[in-house]
Amino acid sequence: MFSFDPYSPAVDADPFPYYKTLRDEHPAFWSDEAGMWVLSRYADIVTALNEWQTYSSAKGNLMTELPNRAGATLGTTDPPRHDRLRGLIQHAFMKRNLEALADPIRTIARDAAAPLAGRREFDFIEEFSSKFTVRVLFAALGLPLGDEMAVREKAVLMVQSDPVTRAKGPEHIAAYNWMTEYAAGVIAERRRNPVGDLISLFSQAEIDGDRLDEREVLLTTTTLIMAGVESLGGFMAMFALNLADHADARRAVVADPALVPDAVEESLRFNTSAQRFRRCLQKDTELHGQTMRAGDFVCLAYGSGNRDERQFPNPDVYDVRRKPRGHLGFGGGVHACLGTAIARLSVRIAFEEFHRVVPDYRRVQAQLPWMPSSTFRSPTRLDLAIH
Amino acid sequence: MTTITYIEPSGREVAIDVPDGWSLMQGATANGVDGIVAECGGSCACATCHCYVDPARAGELPAPSAAELDMLANVAAERRPESRLACQLKAAPALAGLRVRVADTQE
Repeated sequence: MFSFDPYSPAVDADPFPYYKTLRDEHPAFWSDEAGMWVLSRYADIVTALNEWQTYSSAKGNLMTELPNRAGATLGTTDPPRHDRLRGLIQHAFMKRNLEALADPIRTIARDAAAPLAGRREFDFIEEFSSKFTVRVLFAALGLPLGDEMAVREKAVLMVQSDPVTRAKGPEHIAAYNWMTEYAAGVIAERRRNPVGDLISLFSQAEIDGDRLDEREVLLTTTTLIMAGVESLGGFMAMFALNLADHADARRAVVADPALVPDAVEESLRFNTSAQRFRRCLQKDTELHGQTMRAGDFVCLAYGSGNRDERQFPNPDVYDVRRKPRGHLGFGGGVHACLGTAIARLSVRIAFEEFHRVVPDYRRVQAQLPWMPSSTFRSPTRLDLAIH
Repeated sequence: MTTITYIEPSGREVAIDVPDGWSLMQGATANGVDGIVAECGGSCACATCHCYVDPARAGELPAPSAAELDMLANVAAERRPESRLACQLKAAPALAGLRVRVADTQE
């Protein structure tokens, strides 16, 4: 009897064999362990992303949702409210408006990479990506330095879930509460001293003449911080892992840094860090012979859609020349990741600078410690050795 | 499915059956049509899926939303009356046979 438990450490470590069975044999599968349906084929996920009236985000989008968060963030509201909320902040995240950040990001990358010179072995996450991501976030949001490492630690913890209870544990909730209080402090400071930046603007914004709900300001800011640290960091770790495991790809990218953007896109497809998000059905829906009922939750398994052989030939091959357009590494539809441009810019610059210092590396650990999370997938430690 | 004919920047024409409800951007990127970048993934936030719809049929399409008009101000290629963002046009029987020219440059 096939089962799929997104809380299982085996799924954290290697979800792909499960996904293959889901796509081929159970394309609309009820997971008892998750308490929701699982959609695993590329085309079904794209359709669900498009049909937001049916597949609503308003009951939460994280597989294991944080308390009191649904309905107060971009990812957990539906149009038209979502579109107006997003309209307030997406301008700041457009590619052309991020150009001023390119130089500061490069300086951050150089500073983070420099201490790695001459090292024979190091943890990529502890010693490079976590330093880089948190400083980029602080630069992008203009946050005061001093709390970087605490912010990083809490962001990583709040997205995790307990594999035994299949829920958020007290340590995850505590991290979330810490982050919310941290965001509240930043918002209060910006209201006292507005500086024309994103948080100042957002904390004073109005929609149709109404001030934003305080919970929207607070939890959207909290989510931006979480995404900037955890999602960017998780993705960087997966990209480093792919390049460590695929020496030919790494050599090609190091020899010709112009290949980095394509290698990044293929990494988003091949080892998606945001593996699974969820929606809530607003009406009974028939799919692949199953009747999913209004009120049921549905998991959209992006990590599976990105390995769907119906869409991507030889999906289990990491091919930096594939150009996998339409991949689901940033989700899609109205809720597609707000940070695509800053993520692409940051990762490109980070690896250009990292490869100047560390051009040749391999993975040390045969088994990686995977983060316990029903939503995201990345290792908690990634030891790299110089050849 | 609705058949849409895309004209790539090179001039090559490709007819694609796009599932109804999918955007013309999704129909293009999922089928390897050249010239659409779709940096933002379809959230109407980047203006890199700029296309020109057949001017004779532009009036048949749902009018662009305020958000699409706002974003069309950012297109890299020439903006024309028939300029649209492919992520905001949904395949539907009314669009059958529509010809869509992908803008020469998106960034």
